[in-house]
Amino acid sequence: MTTAGGGVRELSYAEALREAMDIALASDPRVILMGEDIGVYGGAFQVTGDLVHRYGEDRVIDTPISELGGAGVAIGAAMTGLRPIYEFQFSDFATLAMEQIVNQAAKIRYMLGGAVSVPVVMRFPAGSGTGAAAQHSQSLEAWFGHVPGLKVVQPSTPADAKGLLLAALEDPDPVLIFEHKLLYKMKGPVPEGHYTVPIGKAAIRRPGRDLCIVAGAIMVHRALEAAEALSAEGIEAEVIDLRSIRPIDRDTILDAVRRTGRLICVYEGVKTLGIGAEISAMVAESDAFDFLDAPIIRLGGAEAPIPYNPELEKAAVPQVPDIVAAARALAGGRL
Amino acid sequence: MPVEVIMPKVDMDMTTGRILVWHVGEGERVSRGTPLFDIETDKAAMEVEAEAEGFLHHRVPEGAEVPIGQPVAWIYAEGEAVGPPPGAASATGAIPPAAASATGAIPPAAGRGGGGDGSGATAGAAPAAIGAPRAGPTETGAEGRPAGLRATPAARRLAREAGLDLATLQGSGPRGRIQGADVRARLETAMSPVPSPAAGFTPEAGGLSVTRRGAGRGRPVVLLHGFASDSLSWAPVEAHLGDRPILRIDLPAHGKSPLLAVRSFAELAALMRDTIDRLDLAEFDLVGHSLGGALALALADTRPRRIAALTLIAPAGLGPQIAGDVLRGICAATRPESLAPWLRMLVADERLISDGYVRQAMAGRACAQLRAAQAALAGILFPDGVQAFDLRAALDRVGMPTRIIWGRRDAVIPWRHALTAPGRVALHLFPELGHVPHLERPDAIAPLLRGGMS
Amino acid sequence: MPEPAAAAEDNRPYIIRAYGPDALRGALLRMFLIRNFEEAAEASYMRGLVHGTMHLSIGQEAVAVGACLGLTESDKITSTHRGHGHCIAKGADVGRMFAEFFGKETGYCRGRGGSMHIADPAKGNLGANGIVGGGLPIAVGSALSAKRLGTGAVTVCFFGDGANNEGAFHEALNMAAIWKLPVVFLCENNRYGMSTSTERSTAVPRVALRAAAYAMPGVTVDGNDISAVAEAVDAATARGRAGEGPSLVECLTYRWRGHSKSDRNRYRSREEIEAWMARDPIPRFAALLVAHGIMSEDEVRAAEAEAERVIEAGLEFARAGPDPSVADLTRDVYTTEAP
Repeated sequence: MTTAGGGVRELSYAEALREAMDIALASDPRVILMGEDIGVYGGAFQVTGDLVHRYGEDRVIDTPISELGGAGVAIGAAMTGLRPIYEFQFSDFATLAMEQIVNQAAKIRYMLGGAVSVPVVMRFPAGSGTGAAAQHSQSLEAWFGHVPGLKVVQPSTPADAKGLLLAALEDPDPVLIFEHKLLYKMKGPVPEGHYTVPIGKAAIRRPGRDLCIVAGAIMVHRALEAAEALSAEGIEAEVIDLRSIRPIDRDTILDAVRRTGRLICVYEGVKTLGIGAEISAMVAESDAFDFLDAPIIRLGGAEAPIPYNPELEKAAVPQVPDIVAAARALAGGRL
Repeated sequence: MPVEVIMPKVDMDMTTGRILVWHVGEGERVSRGTPLFDIETDKAAMEVEAEAEGFLHHRVPEGAEVPIGQPVAWIYAEGEAVGPPPGAASATGAIPPAAASATGAIPPAAGRGGGGDGSGATAGAAPAAIGAPRAGPTETGAEGRPAGLRATPAARRLAREAGLDLATLQGSGPRGRIQGADVRARLETAMSPVPSPAAGFTPEAGGLSVTRRGAGRGRPVVLLHGFASDSLSWAPVEAHLGDRPILRIDLPAHGKSPLLAVRSFAELAALMRDTIDRLDLAEFDLVGHSLGGALALALADTRPRRIAALTLIAPAGLGPQIAGDVLRGICAATRPESLAPWLRMLVADERLISDGYVRQAMAGRACAQLRAAQAALAGILFPDGVQAFDLRAALDRVGMPTRIIWGRRDAVIPWRHALTAPGRVALHLFPELGHVPHLERPDAIAPLLRGGMS
Repeated sequence: MPEPAAAAEDNRPYIIRAYGPDALRGALLRMFLIRNFEEAAEASYMRGLVHGTMHLSIGQEAVAVGACLGLTESDKITSTHRGHGHCIAKGADVGRMFAEFFGKETGYCRGRGGSMHIADPAKGNLGANGIVGGGLPIAVGSALSAKRLGTGAVTVCFFGDGANNEGAFHEALNMAAIWKLPVVFLCENNRYGMSTSTERSTAVPRVALRAAAYAMPGVTVDGNDISAVAEAVDAATARGRAGEGPSLVECLTYRWRGHSKSDRNRYRSREEIEAWMARDPIPRFAALLVAHGIMSEDEVRAAEAEAERVIEAGLEFARAGPDPSVADLTRDVYTTEAP
């Protein structure tokens, strides 16, 4: 993390994102915000908040409900000198803009032999837990992680949210930020001023010797809670916060596997063909394989759309007791 | 039609039982009441006796888990032709055919007629007839390698790096999976700073070495030496044993026995039992020292009728403590200088361990493969410097005259383990002796052995 | 740049009134270049020198050249899969274009893009696009940049008749209109989206009629008449530069060849193709220039010969270029390699 100094105070995740955008708007005239209802409404999750009043409607631009077009406009603007931050109202709506994100943003630089870059930032409120059911609760980050040319990050703390957003703005290539909706109100220490968190670097949130839990976004917090409970039982779990899905921090993950010999991947996206599959395969293909002392466990979302009923909704994604149980079985040599 | 031997239900909630040990070899004659095998349920171990007379065939392998009521062997009448196990196709239940055949439990038809000795009674039997004793004690050494060894990548890497044969390890993980901790424990216990090429050994096959002294008169004495020793260690005491026939058995990877890969104490005991069964002794006295003592006790527990008297000298198996550093030190030593300090710990009077004695001992341990095999064995039997097997219950069970001899200055196994013995076991505790009383004071020990043999 | 509107009584065609002789001669040369380029590309394809397929714009030269005639290098275009003409009209080097066809490191995309992705950002060409309608929102974004950054540039967004039925068309035109962005949506209506005619695919008889839905001007012109194209586009760019917002210009034209090199032409008649070939835009423009004394017949022939020469040199350049190194397969996926 590079920091411009200054103090540290408590901010919510949403406030930290807003502060990052505020800093960017104030310091770089090329930065614009685009998205549905991000102006006077303040954004569906109040992330942009009052920024429109300070920077005007020309820079905090309410778009029509046109995700494909909106994303494409942001991409075109990024190719021609602006630094747009495009907010999707829900990450689920990325499905409407897949063409522009996947065929255009991700590929233009390569197709054109490096003649242009597409420095666009896209923000995606993601994840379940809000009772919004199947079309407003998905965790689709792995889809985009599959696409060369994109960068995909998943901040789990307010400080990282700000630092990764500012890093994304400095990045010459498309960066997609998946923000878990349940984190928006979470408070945490956030340094003042401008600083960046490197894209592609995971963070070890808690060291441990017995096993390592690799998680992203809200699952980091569940993993930490689980690790606390496990510690009381004498099981020391390392918790790694992925922070970036693409590029993924291979070194940190493999190193943790080499040290602990046991791996649990926890992620909210559907388990099959997800981030956990990638991490597992990465380990299996590497020399860290030779340090595995138990099967790898993946805890991912259920093989179902996110349901509405609160109990069903909870059951559809990994919860703290699931992580504790898996870790116990793994560390206890029962798997 | 052969008589079925089944896995009996001996507990109310028992659904399966495990064959702990067979007391009767494949093809051997049994009578009504002959102890056939021990079973282990989750509550108890008990002996099952033969209910018919004849020759035992189609034994399921030791260790097999068998549902109650399922056959575990068949008893054939004399002269009855032995085919495939009756109802084998349907009735074997939980026992996979591969497991049964992998043990070599069903002897090939050609295995009959061992040179006329002892097979005369059945010489006229039909082809594939029963009763032919096998040529030699070779079965166990080659048995029991599962087709796919189950081990974690970490365990495989650690073993690879240490030059250790994973097949020599017992897995503590689910379904016997060998885990990193199993290898580390082995390496910590058994492996010394000896470079890795010497650390591994190539397992051999074949029967244990048995040496005899004279035809003699009276009941034979069978001697089982201790860990890192061999049959020569009995020489001082043998001089005081009169003209009784003496048979000495070298432990695997000791003396003249092959470097067998042994995975557990139970397997080692089975190996020893098999060897003794093949000696075809009607009745004998059994003497064991240290690890040999533990084996002697295990044998006495499963062959009570043939062992007239049991003598245990500083036996293992009666408590957890053992001096792991001594075991490691001996296994690791490649020169007389590094071996001597450990040998001196075996005795109370260090003057006994002369330079000449040490050189001779080292000469017997010159082979790196042998040292590695012994280290591997120590890793299994005494992981982390702990005795991984417990025979105290066996000591309570055995009924033949039994004595325990121990030096109270034993620095390898605490003599106080002797105090766990029940009242009918005689204790001879020598205040001035160490771990090998029969080496330090053969003159004092031999009379006790003779006394037990009268 | 177009000159100030001529007096009302001047009934010469627009292009003659608006552009000087050099510009007009250059326009004809570019039309020849496009025609020759496409023919040479086709010949190269048939000789097996081109890896993928290609979409030829023979017959559509007046649209590309007419639309770009009034643009500066700072103005942008977004192009389509049938984009060779746009590229040349916007000033691209044919040698580097051929090199791209041949997959050479010296090609515009260093052999990574091929026929469908040729771009020349230095000349304001943001690139052809393999996705029908893919360039529409990007053009709006480009116009948004121009407005925000105050560059005064306009963006001409080429798209085909097929793209007008994509959702992106609606979203892009609507956003450009509400934000009054300097963009010209230029529909090259060559009557077929692959095999499907506009009559079968589009509810309105003219794509330009859809402009009404976005409260922007919409005109339909003869796309084989370079003057008509230039006139309509120049009016639209002037409107965009003046901050009045986008326009939709529909140019009716025809591609002589099939959709791509694998087209077996089952959906149109020989008569139809021949009728359109009789309306070849190049001799028509040449005749106009001769009629107005801008060029002599000999000069026209010389221009055609010059085009052939440029094409031949371009092919030579392309053939001589090095192939990309396989080791560089992932170069340019990201601007900076991941740490």
